[in-house]
Amino acid sequence: MERKSLSCGKCLLTAAGIVIFGGVALLYSGLYPMGADVPHNSLTYWVLETLRERSIAQAAGDIEVPGDMDSPDRLLKGGADYNDMCAGCHLKPGKAQSDFTLGLYPAPPNLSLDEDKQNQGSHDEGLDTLRQQFWTIKHGIKASGMPAWGPGHDDERIWNMVAFIKRLPDLSPDQYQIITARGDVSKGNGH
Amino acid sequence: MKTQTLPRFLAISSLLFALSAQAHDPKEHMQNAEQADCTAMNDMDQSKMEMNDPVTQAMMEKCKKGMSGMEGMSGMKGMSDGEEKAQDTTHEDGDSEGHAHDDDGSTDTHH
Repeated sequence: MERKSLSCGKCLLTAAGIVIFGGVALLYSGLYPMGADVPHNSLTYWVLETLRERSIAQAAGDIEVPGDMDSPDRLLKGGADYNDMCAGCHLKPGKAQSDFTLGLYPAPPNLSLDEDKQNQGSHDEGLDTLRQQFWTIKHGIKASGMPAWGPGHDDERIWNMVAFIKRLPDLSPDQYQIITARGDVSKGNGH
Repeated sequence: MKTQTLPRFLAISSLLFALSAQAHDPKEHMQNAEQADCTAMNDMDQSKMEMNDPVTQAMMEKCKKGMSGMEGMSGMKGMSDGEEKAQDTTHEDGDSEGHAHDDDGSTDTHH
């Protein structure tokens, strides 16, 4: 009995050694494609996505969401910043793609679409989404192209962007233009 | 000793100055700031606009300065005179804080 468990232990050690050796060999071989134009295989993609989602959910869990997320003032301030800092990658109403969305991998989510909102089944899930968006904007995501905006922007300013992103899928291109324009009113004959 | 202190002081001062300059000021964007095209509001279906909706209120706030010279905006003048007045006339569920659509975010502002 004791001999059987010993041999089983040896088998496990051998298997672990082979896996580690194989991993290190793959690492140093340079065979893994690092170009952004070659997608990960499904296993790598799943591992990285799960790592990212679980890490953000865990880190953002205790963030307190301000009570005035529907304030028009937040929409105006956050909209202007979104247009200047985010729209190039995360798009805006009426725009389906940009050089960044075509070239970045993983492709940045199109925040002007309603996809995420459909996943917000309950009020708590909606709050979790706001917390995670705040955390992501503030801290960024490693090796994804998403920068950390926290060093140059205070929390209030980041919450303004979160408030705007919450309503972004509801906006028409005209509404987006008016809300995100930093300048004052134009009385030109636009129509 | 003093000769060592001066370079350190200068280095720290320079570093602090550089870090403060990195903070992202909205004024940096004002040079090429796009102007709000409030004439587009003329084409929007005003009957479908909810005055208690934060999006509508944000647009009204943005376009308030130019509204006096715009045509076809008479239905929205209440907002420039005072948001509460407009909210009272259009709100049906009694929520005076404009949070009626907080949970699902659904509005009728699509066009």
